[in-house]
Amino acid sequence: MTDAPHDPTAALESVVRKEWGRLTSLLLAQFRRLDLVEDALSDAVEAAARRWPEDGVPDNPAAWLVTTARRRVVDRLRAESMAQRKAPLLVTDAERREEGTRTMADPGDLVEDDLLRLVLMCTHPALASESACALALRLVLGVSTHDIGRLFLVTEPTMAARITRAKKKVVTAGIPFAVPAADDLPERLETVAQTAYLAFTAGYAPGSGPDLLRAELAGEAIRLVRVVLALRPGEPSLVGLLALMLLQHSRRDARVGADGRLVLLDDQDRSRWRRDEIDEALLLLSEPVLTGPISPVAAAYLVQARIAAEHATAATPEDTRWDRIVGHYDVLLELTPSPSARLARAVAVAQAAGPEAGLEALEGIEIAGSHRVDAVRAELLVRAGRPVEARDAYDAAIAVCRNESERAHLVERRDRLDA
Amino acid sequence: MKRYVLLLAYEPGGWDDASEEVQQTFFDAHHAFEEYVASHGRRLASGALADADTATTVRHVDGAATVSDGPYVETVEFVGGYYDVELPDLDSAIEAAMLLPPSYAVEIRPTVLIEGYEHA
Repeated sequence: MTDAPHDPTAALESVVRKEWGRLTSLLLAQFRRLDLVEDALSDAVEAAARRWPEDGVPDNPAAWLVTTARRRVVDRLRAESMAQRKAPLLVTDAERREEGTRTMADPGDLVEDDLLRLVLMCTHPALASESACALALRLVLGVSTHDIGRLFLVTEPTMAARITRAKKKVVTAGIPFAVPAADDLPERLETVAQTAYLAFTAGYAPGSGPDLLRAELAGEAIRLVRVVLALRPGEPSLVGLLALMLLQHSRRDARVGADGRLVLLDDQDRSRWRRDEIDEALLLLSEPVLTGPISPVAAAYLVQARIAAEHATAATPEDTRWDRIVGHYDVLLELTPSPSARLARAVAVAQAAGPEAGLEALEGIEIAGSHRVDAVRAELLVRAGRPVEARDAYDAAIAVCRNESERAHLVERRDRLDA
Repeated sequence: MKRYVLLLAYEPGGWDDASEEVQQTFFDAHHAFEEYVASHGRRLASGALADADTATTVRHVDGAATVSDGPYVETVEFVGGYYDVELPDLDSAIEAAMLLPPSYAVEIRPTVLIEGYEHA
């Protein structure tokens, strides 16, 4: 850790940000106590915040934290043994091998990595996907419970309770701290990708009131993918997903206007899109692993990334190749038919072939509880010169829209019809 | 090793009318499950349950024990059998459960030790 900053606060922030998951997994592999390890590591970070300004930043900050955390765990274990309490331990694959109960694949097929074990444990399919997200952000990245709560628009105590429940399920149900056989690994990594994407989209799900978008927290989901991709380079679902996330994330500064409202794609100041992120995504999309046979999940991320790339590479809205985007949506709908994708395709059709064609493509799409189909219909009816029907569609959209700033936008558009 | 009870739920009926071939596919699936458990852990107990309409439920209502006809929850699917097994972890329990007949919903429940409780 020769590049550690000398400023204690910065040094601590940096080591927590870079090493939290590795330290957690190290402690879990040693003690197998999910209930103690996270608290012990948090205590160690608190101790560092007190001690480092006085004693100076240690030569190896990560080793200092893990040693301190280890001591806390040992203290707790000692107290428990005096009270003759026996807490359940995590199941690990080391233990499975010892018991010789499992026909293990050739050890060469297994990735021996505690951090990967931690990621796979947090994102196990037996956990509810939102719980898996929360657990991964907390244990792998060290994101605070407060911030995870903000991401999912719940209070900190609610999120803390959710994380505690998830940890209890892991230990009680026997979700292993283990890497599965090589055959099962790609599918598990797809679950990791889906978990990360859920966290990402949560950051862009419009909240109520001032916390409209939580883009910086969506950025943590990108970090999660980077961590796993570093462990499994070239995994197609993760490469495709990272490209998709980067392209969507690159527009964050242009998405909310000075008045705090959402700015639609067409109206965004494209000079405020992050070029470096777009370039990285385009490079990822040209990776050779994506040209080979890939799973439907990976293919779905890839085609969504290609759609986003069409927007990212158009200098102006008028330059957008809507014909190609319609083609991408046709591929996507074959992979994963969903009303949202059909809606987006209808928008693309309208851009490529005019509002009447778009309205036709909109036929039969229903998204329960959402204003979006009616909002799109209203826009297309305006463009098609059918204001009376457009007004009805706006009214329908406004009636179900729950997001303040989006509703304000719809009301403004409707009232403009009368002007 | 962890201990799990696997509760097998399915829509009742149909077994007696099923052809021998169909019944054999169920037996084969159970055999595959049992072999998996034997090679990865062990089976402590198992049982097929008679139909839910033969169930009797005892519960306390307003302080008095009452006996009633039928299971404690009325649903479409009923627990029709169980396995009590020891397996290394949830992954192996899931792998084993996937071997059982596809018409089942299999609930995997870890068992817990109640601290302080000793058998009489």
